[in-house]
Amino acid sequence: MAAPRVLLLLAAAALLAVSSVGDASGEGPRGRKLLVLVDDLAVRSSHSAFFGSLQARGLDLEFRLADDPKLSLHRYDHSASDLIRGIATECGVDFDEDPEAMVIDHINYASSEVEGDHTLIAGDDLIQSDVILGSKKIEAPVLFRGIGHAANPSNSLVLKVLSASPSAYSANPEAKLASVPSLTGSAISLVSVMQARNNARVLISGSLDLFSNRFLKSGVQKAGSKMSHDKAGNEQFVTETSKWVFHERGHLKAVNVKHHKVGETNEPSMYRINDDLEYSVEIYEWSGTSWKPYVADDVQIQFFMMSPYVLKNMSTDKTAVYSASFKVPDVYGVFQFKVEYQRLGYTGLSLAKQIPVRPYRHDEYERFITSAFPYYAASFSTMGAFFIFSVAYLYHK
Amino acid sequence: MIGVVKNDIVKLFGTIKSYDDGTFYFDEKYVDGSEYKGPITTSASVVRGVTSFANVVSGKLNIPGEKILGLAKFFLGIGLPGSAKDCFNQIESLSLLENNRIFVPLILSLPSKVLSLTSKDQLKVEVTTVFGSAAPPLRVNLVQVLGSDSKIITTDSKELQFDLDNNVHYLDITPLKIDVGKYSLVFEITLQDSEHETVYTTGGRNTESVVVTGLIKVDKAEIGISENDAGSAESVEKLDLLKDTKVSLSANHLQKLRLSFQLSTPLGRTFKPHQVFLKLKHESKVEHLFVVPGSARQFKIVLDFLGLVEKFYYLSGTYDLELSVGDASMENSFLRALGQLELDLPEAPEKAPRPPAQAVDPLAKFRPQKEIEHIFRVPEKRPLQEVSLAFTGLTLLPFIGFLIGLMRLGVNLKNFPSLPGPAAFASLFHAGIAAVLLLYVLFWVKLDLFTTLKYLSFLGVFLVFVGHRTLSHLSNTTAKQKTA
Repeated sequence: MAAPRVLLLLAAAALLAVSSVGDASGEGPRGRKLLVLVDDLAVRSSHSAFFGSLQARGLDLEFRLADDPKLSLHRYDHSASDLIRGIATECGVDFDEDPEAMVIDHINYASSEVEGDHTLIAGDDLIQSDVILGSKKIEAPVLFRGIGHAANPSNSLVLKVLSASPSAYSANPEAKLASVPSLTGSAISLVSVMQARNNARVLISGSLDLFSNRFLKSGVQKAGSKMSHDKAGNEQFVTETSKWVFHERGHLKAVNVKHHKVGETNEPSMYRINDDLEYSVEIYEWSGTSWKPYVADDVQIQFFMMSPYVLKNMSTDKTAVYSASFKVPDVYGVFQFKVEYQRLGYTGLSLAKQIPVRPYRHDEYERFITSAFPYYAASFSTMGAFFIFSVAYLYHK
Repeated sequence: MIGVVKNDIVKLFGTIKSYDDGTFYFDEKYVDGSEYKGPITTSASVVRGVTSFANVVSGKLNIPGEKILGLAKFFLGIGLPGSAKDCFNQIESLSLLENNRIFVPLILSLPSKVLSLTSKDQLKVEVTTVFGSAAPPLRVNLVQVLGSDSKIITTDSKELQFDLDNNVHYLDITPLKIDVGKYSLVFEITLQDSEHETVYTTGGRNTESVVVTGLIKVDKAEIGISENDAGSAESVEKLDLLKDTKVSLSANHLQKLRLSFQLSTPLGRTFKPHQVFLKLKHESKVEHLFVVPGSARQFKIVLDFLGLVEKFYYLSGTYDLELSVGDASMENSFLRALGQLELDLPEAPEKAPRPPAQAVDPLAKFRPQKEIEHIFRVPEKRPLQEVSLAFTGLTLLPFIGFLIGLMRLGVNLKNFPSLPGPAAFASLFHAGIAAVLLLYVLFWVKLDLFTTLKYLSFLGVFLVFVGHRTLSHLSNTTAKQKTA
């Protein structure tokens, strides 16, 4: 097939969810329309199992060729693979420079009677994340054949979902090694994801075959291992990661922020130092069809002014309400109720609500202080003595 | 009429397209996404028409056999089509090609393209129709074996033996003395019955690539540190590369690290694998990779640390050594931990490049933070209640002393005016003073300044008036007493 590498890069990275942000309570965070950009319409049939599973989940697919003039995406005067490389670099992923390179692993390859060049990798180094890969463990290795990439270490938003094994390297299998390969070992990432700060999600894979019907249905036996699996982990892997990428899992929203003094129900506009207050928020997770309560034990509330004065874990009774109560610090100023929640694979929550805190009024202090009694006694005894003296002095003979 | 159609068919087949691997297909121009049929549908309709025509027409159609074979290979190469329509087209075209009157394509395929010398695999070749039915009697010859870079290994033509039960042609490759590696095998199919030449098409010579694998022997592995100039190694350790080893070496920047070993194939020749890497991993996760160069005799690498000081970013410390050797034709590729090397490099100068940033474990970024409890300001310590009360008592002592003193002095109120007028004023005066003092006490307890000032002003005016009367009366009385 002509230009397989371009196919690998282009179609693999180009599943865009055209998002019409749905805010109504029944609608999810992203729309259901999906634009599929391909280089060759044959992908529609060779990957029909994957596309079929997406349609079964309610996504509305539309297939277009990458240079379709009716698309409002423009293609500049570069080759498609350069464009994809550029987009990937922006997302923190650097592909191997050599367009003929493939990931080769002479120890962790999948046994195949048809090809013997060890480019069919049986990958089982998956990221430990139930959000991205689903709660069920992927038992069988995932088949991969394609180009490798590395996650930029200075990028804090990119994650390696499927990494290569320590014996893997990226080189052209047909030719002898001309120079030291730039990508070797576990630094090679086969499939990466990136979640941007605006919670947009991107999945970058160097292999288009990973999603193809053939790999989804094929069995796998890792070289050197006696265990052979009837079905490779590809189908489960592809289904679960596509659920995560299309925001059907791991998308949180926080609503109904409430705070009040303990014992009252209305929300005051200002607190006084040393008040006891209670803060509550509701957090939901989109499950693909509806918003379900999010259950976790590590959501924290901060009472923040330049730095957190109070940081407390919030507790939940599994009905999406998270609450905590604490005493207002004895520092006055303008504080914020801050919830900063960033967890692997989940969209970030960043809530802030400003609230002033005032010091004691002049009449909120202690009224009569025992250690001041001598002073009270002095004052009043002087007044009494003055009265008696005035009487005595005027009328004494 | 028929002749015109036959000519047109020949012309149509002139527009056939092909991929590089010998498959031929028909395609139409891509005009519009909704109307585009694709190569599968187009080629299927051509096959449908041409085979149906050929079945009813007398005489042969002038189509070269290789194009029919190419179309058959195209439909076989699709694999499993995605849509039902494509699947139907594929199966229908193959069944029409299975026994058509132009040429019946015979496909040569290898059930296994990976042959292992260790398990003494035989080279197996199948020649069948597109649907796998048996081919007519024929001979398969292996005419050429080409190595990588198209080097000719052998050109003697070897005939493959035929296994009737499994319909497979096979050949033992051990007598061919083929070593491990990638090869292109060129087969030639010859039909035993010459009459079949007009019925079947075989494509003449077929080339298939295979990989021959085997166990590679590793021996004479040595690692050691040597001084910069002398040739002889100071400390050499023999390594057994069949398992992980734990050598412990130490060197400074003036020394060199030597690693050498020999690789040989099952047939005894030297072997040059695709991957021969030596990796040094610093404790701070900075890695350096070296390709071990191989000569005709052995693989040897010499790391001269004097020249590598800058490449290593001047990082001294413990480096883990790892050797990985692998190749497509190697059945025992390995990744071995060799041990550790304590490297002592000089200090980095000011302008030296910093080592590259290493990846941070992503899970570490997403931990919950430590809880913070605000530490409230401790109120100042007050003396005990008893102490305060004691001092209150002490404060009241002078007052009591004053009262006692007054008693002792025998104070009396003899000078109180006796006349009712002045007496009333005097009483009012003292009552007014008492009222002002009471107002002060009330102010301290609960009144605010404004109320107090209001009452004070009333009382003050009253007191001035009354006080003046009383005091002037008193002073008159005293003056009268003095003059009298």
